[in-house]
Amino acid sequence: MSEMANTDPEGLDGVRMTWNLWPRTKVEASKCVIPLAVSISPIRHHPDIPVLPYPPLRCKTCTICLNCYARVDFTAKIWICPFCYQRNHFPPHYSMISETNLPAELYPQYTTVEHALPATPSAASAAAGGDPHVSPPPVFVFVLDTCMIEEEFALVKSAVKRAIGMLPEKALVGFVSFGTQAQVHELGFSDMSKVYVFRGSKEVSKDQIMEQLGLGRTAMGRGHPHPAAAAAAGYPQQQMQNGFKSSGVTRFLLPASQCEFTLDLILDELQTDQWPVPPGSRASRCTGVALSVAAGLLGGCLPGTGARIIALVGGPCTEGPGTIVSKDLSDPVRSHKDLDKDAAPYFKKAVKFYDNLAKQLVSQGHVLDLFASALDQVGVAEMKVAVERTGGLVVLSESFGHSVFKDSFKRVFEKGEQALGLCFNGTLEINCSKDIKIQGIIGPCTSMEKKGPNVADTVVGEGNTMAWKMCGLDRSTCLTVFFDLSSSERSNAPATVNPQLYLQFMTSYQNPEGQTLLRVTTVTRRWVDSSVSSEELVQGFDQETAAVVMARLTSLKMEAEEGFDATRWLDRNLIRLCSKFGDYRKDDPSSFTLNPQFSLFPQFMFNLRRSQFVQVFNNSPDETAYFRMLLNRENITNAAVMIQPSLISYSFNSLPQPALLDVASIAADRILLLDSYFSVVVFHGMTIAQWRNMGYQNQPEHQAFAQLLQAPQDDAQAIIRDRFPVPRLVVCDQHGSQARFLLAKLNPSATYNNTSELAAGSDVIFTDDVSLQVFFDHLQKLAVQS
Amino acid sequence: LDPKTLPRPLDGDVEPNLLAEGYSPNCDPRYLRLTTRAIPNSQSLASRWHLPLGAVVCPLAEAPDGEEVPVLNFVSGIIRCRRCRTYVNPFVTFTDAGRKWRCNICSLLNDVPGEYFCQLDATGRRMDLDQRPELTQGSVEFVAPTEYMVRPPMPPLYFFLIDVSISAARSGMLEVVAQTIKSCLDDLPGFPRTQIGFITFDSTIHFYNMKSSLTQPQMMVVSDLDDVFVPLPDDLLVNLADSRSVVDVFLDTLPSMFQDNVNVESAFGPALKAAFSVMNQLGGKMLIFQNTMPSLGVGRLKLRGDDVRVYGTDKEHALRLPEDPFYKQMAADLTKYQIGVNLYAFSDKYTDIASLGALAKYTGGQVYQYPGFQSVNHGEKLRHELARDLTRETAWEAVMRIRCGKGIRFSSYHGNFMLRSTDLLALPAVDCDKAYAMQTLFLGYKGIYYLKISSTVKRYTASCGERRIRVHTAAAPVVSDLGEMYRQADTGAIVSLFSRLAIEKTLSHKLEDGRNSVQLRIVKAFREYRNLYSVQHRLGNRMIYPESLKFLPLYGLALCKSTPLRGGFADVQLDERCAAGFTIMALPVKKLLKLLYPSLMRVDDYLLKPSAQADEFSSTLRRLPLTMDSLDSRGLYLYDDGFRFILWFGGMLSPDIAMNLLGPDAAAELSKVTLGKHDTEMSRKLMGLIKKLRASDPSYYQPCNLVRQGEQPREGYLLLTNLVEDQTGGTNG
Ligand SMILES: [Zn+2]
Ligand SMILES: [Zn+2]
Repeated sequence: MSEMANTDPEGLDGVRMTWNLWPRTKVEASKCVIPLAVSISPIRHHPDIPVLPYPPLRCKTCTICLNCYARVDFTAKIWICPFCYQRNHFPPHYSMISETNLPAELYPQYTTVEHALPATPSAASAAAGGDPHVSPPPVFVFVLDTCMIEEEFALVKSAVKRAIGMLPEKALVGFVSFGTQAQVHELGFSDMSKVYVFRGSKEVSKDQIMEQLGLGRTAMGRGHPHPAAAAAAGYPQQQMQNGFKSSGVTRFLLPASQCEFTLDLILDELQTDQWPVPPGSRASRCTGVALSVAAGLLGGCLPGTGARIIALVGGPCTEGPGTIVSKDLSDPVRSHKDLDKDAAPYFKKAVKFYDNLAKQLVSQGHVLDLFASALDQVGVAEMKVAVERTGGLVVLSESFGHSVFKDSFKRVFEKGEQALGLCFNGTLEINCSKDIKIQGIIGPCTSMEKKGPNVADTVVGEGNTMAWKMCGLDRSTCLTVFFDLSSSERSNAPATVNPQLYLQFMTSYQNPEGQTLLRVTTVTRRWVDSSVSSEELVQGFDQETAAVVMARLTSLKMEAEEGFDATRWLDRNLIRLCSKFGDYRKDDPSSFTLNPQFSLFPQFMFNLRRSQFVQVFNNSPDETAYFRMLLNRENITNAAVMIQPSLISYSFNSLPQPALLDVASIAADRILLLDSYFSVVVFHGMTIAQWRNMGYQNQPEHQAFAQLLQAPQDDAQAIIRDRFPVPRLVVCDQHGSQARFLLAKLNPSATYNNTSELAAGSDVIFTDDVSLQVFFDHLQKLAVQS
Repeated sequence: LDPKTLPRPLDGDVEPNLLAEGYSPNCDPRYLRLTTRAIPNSQSLASRWHLPLGAVVCPLAEAPDGEEVPVLNFVSGIIRCRRCRTYVNPFVTFTDAGRKWRCNICSLLNDVPGEYFCQLDATGRRMDLDQRPELTQGSVEFVAPTEYMVRPPMPPLYFFLIDVSISAARSGMLEVVAQTIKSCLDDLPGFPRTQIGFITFDSTIHFYNMKSSLTQPQMMVVSDLDDVFVPLPDDLLVNLADSRSVVDVFLDTLPSMFQDNVNVESAFGPALKAAFSVMNQLGGKMLIFQNTMPSLGVGRLKLRGDDVRVYGTDKEHALRLPEDPFYKQMAADLTKYQIGVNLYAFSDKYTDIASLGALAKYTGGQVYQYPGFQSVNHGEKLRHELARDLTRETAWEAVMRIRCGKGIRFSSYHGNFMLRSTDLLALPAVDCDKAYAMQTLFLGYKGIYYLKISSTVKRYTASCGERRIRVHTAAAPVVSDLGEMYRQADTGAIVSLFSRLAIEKTLSHKLEDGRNSVQLRIVKAFREYRNLYSVQHRLGNRMIYPESLKFLPLYGLALCKSTPLRGGFADVQLDERCAAGFTIMALPVKKLLKLLYPSLMRVDDYLLKPSAQADEFSSTLRRLPLTMDSLDSRGLYLYDDGFRFILWFGGMLSPDIAMNLLGPDAAAELSKVTLGKHDTEMSRKLMGLIKKLRASDPSYYQPCNLVRQGEQPREGYLLLTNLVEDQTGGTNG
């Protein structure tokens, strides 16, 4: 597929743009069809990024950080801000700089640098002395569903146990279990196992939760608790233990090393929900209350400190706030059809509930991770807002025994090479040159509603701001920023003069070691005057990024705009794009050609139209929500695979090579490896399967066959190893039942409508979908129409 | 009237001697006593009797070995009168060669079922009489066939609702309670079906999951007091035998778990509702251990203040009534679901026993009060009384009905219970220490001039899980002679009814009115009696009374000086007054009389005597009048009111005796000294005596207080105020 697959298209900066050359005016930009968008992985790992043990210098007018694009007057010790042209004096400790003695941030190759900062004041006050650069240890509150069959319950319990064993010793752990009711386990209570129980059917406010847990304002950590008040509230005063003032910390949140044994015991004795479930009913499950309670617990104990709520859910919420379906089993969980027809009576209310929960979590700086394992839906569609806005992880699988859950869950807690690098308390600020307006961000973050001169009037995703909160973020977190240009007539001289535009992304966050870092990425691009010719613009087009951005935008519109016809919208835009950038004679489809910079784009759109992101009716709302959350948070390369899977063919005659994503690529003597991101399929042609069944690979004289069999397996494992969530691995044979996982993704060039043209050993797809060729023909015809 | 001229009940309660009166088939008076064993034959006669006409019933009274109520199992059905449902009893008569029997209550002629048939002898008596306890004994117990059951018999169930707030933890109550419960687990009635459960509370409610498969209990806190709910469907109530190890761990852990609790609140009302929710499937016995005044949620109580200005006004009685209707309503619900409540109250401050006690009163329970409980001082008493509460034979899901012959019926009932219909008393859990009194309403006979029969029926589940019916039957002659009524009077039963009526009166009137009503009726009765005989005896102004009522004036006086009725504001703490009221309302006759006129004995002579037989003290020790004049400053005296002992050391008592009894503590301030064993003959004798006395009166534990003559104010409130014959006794002025 993409020729860039094996390179690192994102470079040091982790930035990719739909257009790498920008049109000068708003009018020109709108003619480009594909919006001006930047995809950034704000804390992507790169070995060449320097870490500077000091805070950055900032422009006194626009507050951007000093960067390599600043002009420096070494004699006057002055730097000129490339964004606003403010002249800034260097402070005394920069007095030694010269052309030969530059600080790292001024090295031209360091467009991205990272500054190590002292911990933020609120976090520092919570930490008991010690290194000011180190924030308090991370907090993990496990929220465990108990409404499931024994077998599943045993699996999920052992997964939690394993996870706790893998946590850093100092990490604080809390535990909430829920079914008909929600139970907060007081891990610090040594006399016996003790839980606080909350009614599942009743919405409880944060204040009520804190009061009922004995974390009322009087007893809790902010400022100085009044001893008499705390005593009156009836809770023992245990201040400054574990380095926290809040007594709640010693009661409910304990260092992993201290509570591992207790938790093991609790999990051993923990039973599935004991309330009887009448026949024909769903279990009574109060997921909403349980999550509220976990959020209230964290809010009462450690607001502002990095913490994640890890929800392990085995079914739909049927009790209290967040309910997605009635308890009556004859009442199915809402489908896309129900949502379309407004026939999902619980949906909006549940979304509203999770929207409020998201607001609370964001204000506390806490993350919600969702691990849903069930055959039916559990409400991912409703909970999406809380997971996405807090930057949480999400994994959807069929069972807690499935490798998709098991291996993904393990990855969350792994250290070293395999670590996800889960970070906390992220804030992204974007600054840009005058005349550039920020519409908003699609991705795992929340607008902080911080107004500024560069905020656009029109909003895409999380907008109305120049700063975003990312309660949770990791190395692979990716955001898509949408830009617009100022519509005002340009009168400002410098902007006209300066041929470059600048964008600066400042991401402050707390890394897994508790260090607070500020990453500054400054990028520049050239303005081009496209009103005369689009020749130059074309060279700056990144079709892979454009495809992903269009996918993200389409998903957003499908969710936000009622009656939005995604296919038509995509088709219209594609035709417009081809009309503008294609070479053709009017009304002559055969004359149509596309510049190589655009040549792959129509196929991307063809596959996007057929993908799970647009054809949602093939999936449940939960699956759609899941796919979209990952589409929005993965980098461009991975997201592109979700839209247009990669296919590699293995055969005796040649090295493994990319194959056309077409049914024609199937052959009896080939093995195919399909990576569609969520699943990895190893597909054996008929002959290969027969040989394998006869055990040829075990015979010394057929070593080549053994190697051929093994190669795609190894490659599949390599993909699986690096990916989170861990994809489903499907190993199947031609004509086997599992083969549908491959066939669904292939271009139906051969269907039962045209079997006569079939090559031997090939396959047929039973579909009425149009093939890529038919799609192209139509496109050419429409693009050249006058 | 000088009490010192009155005869003194120095021999305590004297039960009527049935055999002597020739009514042998009557049930033993320990179960049922009539205020007079001569029933008036007319309304006019009844109205001249002035004293209460009624009965006191102690349906499960403890019987000495060999005198237990026989249990009969009629496989093919119990014989009852077709019309009035009376059970076959010694007073029915057989006719028609044994084929018919006549009901002694309603006179209906009933058929004798084939399997119950037996020929009659020449005198008209059944030949099998000696094998038929139901035809010869006043008290029998039938095993109930299934048609008598609303539901299968429930297992005995003990549920503990325990205050763990700061005052409870600091008083040491938790430790004593936990240890005592644990020590009684093997003796709880009903093994192996016995169920058990616990809730503790302070500002929150703590449930305990006791599932047998757990290694330790799980504590489940519910803090939502406005909307209390049960956090588990099962396992909050468990089979004791199955979950024994978990229960043991819980009881071992309970005291230490809360030892540092600084919670000053009490969510008693919500906790009570929680306990109710857990228990209401099965019913059973709820034991409440309460220390801090309910301060949170429903049933929250106020410091109503025992205001001196209210005394003597028409608002006075309100202090002695529940303030919040919550408690009475809860009690009604509890009874409906067969839950009986015993309240143990420990506070050193006012906690509104008037309100809390309603829970015990209307559920057939009992109030135990330990004001200012400290385990060092009161631990032994609590231990003993709780142990007795837990291990005494208890009847579950009981109802009681009194039937009597034509012309008379019971009109009012007095004691701790809930009246389910006009004549059915609901008693969710009843035991040997509870007695009930009732008054009769005279309706007038129509030509009936022979025996009047009354019979008591109780239906209950024994702890073994068998449904039983206990029937006590008594008969008394109908008389036309008022003098005979007086002669056949039973002072004990009369005083018992008087006490209950007077205490009830204080719930709607001033204390003074309660006392006056007692005095007035005694005076009226004696005046009537005097009028009856004054002419023939030419008595002048001298007071006369029948032999049977000779102690009544003194008991009446003692009653007026008893804790629930005595004095005014300053004489008794309000909570203590209410608690005593609840106690007396349930007290059997013998116990009540001892409380009203306690025994006072000089013991130094006995201790000095060379040792003889163990039982010799009963002949040596004499009860003395309750007056200062009885106390010789050279003596050592033991005062016993059935609830406590007071050992009074005379100011001139030989130091040798004190040394022998107290050892090195002899010189110390006696309020700080507890009586213990010393290795002297005298000490052994005293301890033996005390042990004997306690054994003879086991329903409550008598802690032994020591006081030296002149040790004020201790001597005053411990002893002197209780010398009821003295002017000062019983009031502060
Ligand atoms: Zn600037
Ligand atoms: Zn009858």
